[in-house]
Amino acid sequence: MPPRRVIELRGITKRFVDGPPVLRGVDLTVPRGCLYGLVGPGAAGKSVLLKLVVGLLRPDAGALLIEGEDITGLDELRLHRVRARIGMLFQNNALFDHMTVGENIAFPLRRAGVTDAAALAERVADRLRMVSLPGFEDRMPAGLSGGQKKRIGVARATALKADIVLYDEPAAGLDPVTSQKIFDTLRAEQREAGATVVMVSSDIERLLTITDRVGMLHRGRLIFDGTTAEALASRDPRVDQFVHGKTDGPL
Amino acid sequence: MSQASEREGLSAETGRAILDLAAEVGGVAMLAGRLLRRLAPPRLDGPELARNLHRMGVKSLPIVGVTALFTGGIMVIQAGVLIRRFGAEGLLGWGAGFATLREVGPILIALMFSGRVGANNTAELGTMTVTEQIAALETLAIDPLSYLILPRCIAMVVMLFMLTVYGDVLALAGSALMGQALLGVSVATFFNGFLETIRVWDLATGLIKSVLYGVIIALSSCHFGLTVTGGAPGVGRAVNTSVVASATGIFVTDYFSTYLLG
Repeated sequence: MPPRRVIELRGITKRFVDGPPVLRGVDLTVPRGCLYGLVGPGAAGKSVLLKLVVGLLRPDAGALLIEGEDITGLDELRLHRVRARIGMLFQNNALFDHMTVGENIAFPLRRAGVTDAAALAERVADRLRMVSLPGFEDRMPAGLSGGQKKRIGVARATALKADIVLYDEPAAGLDPVTSQKIFDTLRAEQREAGATVVMVSSDIERLLTITDRVGMLHRGRLIFDGTTAEALASRDPRVDQFVHGKTDGPL
Repeated sequence: MSQASEREGLSAETGRAILDLAAEVGGVAMLAGRLLRRLAPPRLDGPELARNLHRMGVKSLPIVGVTALFTGGIMVIQAGVLIRRFGAEGLLGWGAGFATLREVGPILIALMFSGRVGANNTAELGTMTVTEQIAALETLAIDPLSYLILPRCIAMVVMLFMLTVYGDVLALAGSALMGQALLGVSVATFFNGFLETIRVWDLATGLIKSVLYGVIIALSSCHFGLTVTGGAPGVGRAVNTSVVASATGIFVTDYFSTYLLG
């Protein structure tokens, strides 16, 4: 039976050269099939935490388990096997400049062994319809607006239907209607695939409409971890201020 | 500021510069080691290699061709005064061929290649680094060294070697044509002198150097591209550093390889 805890951080600490710790002893567990919203003020360590989960960064202390396997000491080749189960959307999309939109979306599929041209084209078209950009296959990333790039990034991150998906600001730069559409679509996809998702977003109001659980990072510490309802009802003044967008408070 | 503190500041700056240099040289050596590990057994992306061979090699043909033709011509203009003074027309083929094949051809073509291909490679990799495209490859379970770096390094070494052969031929042609136009030395006389005096080793020396230069340009341009920090301005700095480091490496290697290869 696969472990119930898909992502587990135990006492994770991360510091960059000449700086204070970005993460200080973070304990966090994301259960299977959960859509986990990770929130917090700027520079709280949210993006760093996602990069640790996917093995792009290594923690200075603590253990990080993916499906029960501690990945902190894995070499690059073993990490690749873990990453093959993870999809990720970067904050700035990280689209490959030298590829068309279609090639960008098809790239993870090709690397996963999908070679049938018709199947690839259908999957690419499906992803583009999902992000409301049908017919964009032959466009180059350089010719897209910021919002369009973000949507193509979402399309690529979801192309493989990975077991674990990490989204760093999936709706940044999008108009409210498209933003809500993206959140709803990602939620529907996550439910359909039973995927475990960690989503970082500054659009708290919309994010909390789709999350199962919420964690709040503040100054490198996880100061809240609970259900979305518990977050909305939290009496911690920092959580209360942040999730309700109040201007007065300790933050 | 007192003399003592000035000396201290100078020492600190010198020490920092030496440490920085050691860190960069160490970084290049580590990159070389990691790439070598991926060669046995070969783990590289075939289509990416073909794409790089084309854009780094085929697209460099015009600029290398022009450089080589004019280099050959310049060799004759420089030698013309002495050739005329001593009536040594028969030595024109030897003089131009010897200098072109062993020294001038490989080094000038390598410098052109570094400016065009090496700088472009650093800029591309640097941009990919700061926009997290390299990180995105890793999250897609793709080893950037096998997929992105190794094909570029192999393409640079192979294409610089081939461009040097191509450039040598054009430089000799330029020398022969300029010899006839300026000094009245026939093309036949030029190549007779060339074939009688130039040994295969003269050609081989230049080609061995071109491989060494290719390795230097490849490692330097990839290393500085992959270690970019500081966004777009950082990419600009990395390109500058990469070109300077490649040129320095080329001249230092030229000195030692000339000494060792004879």
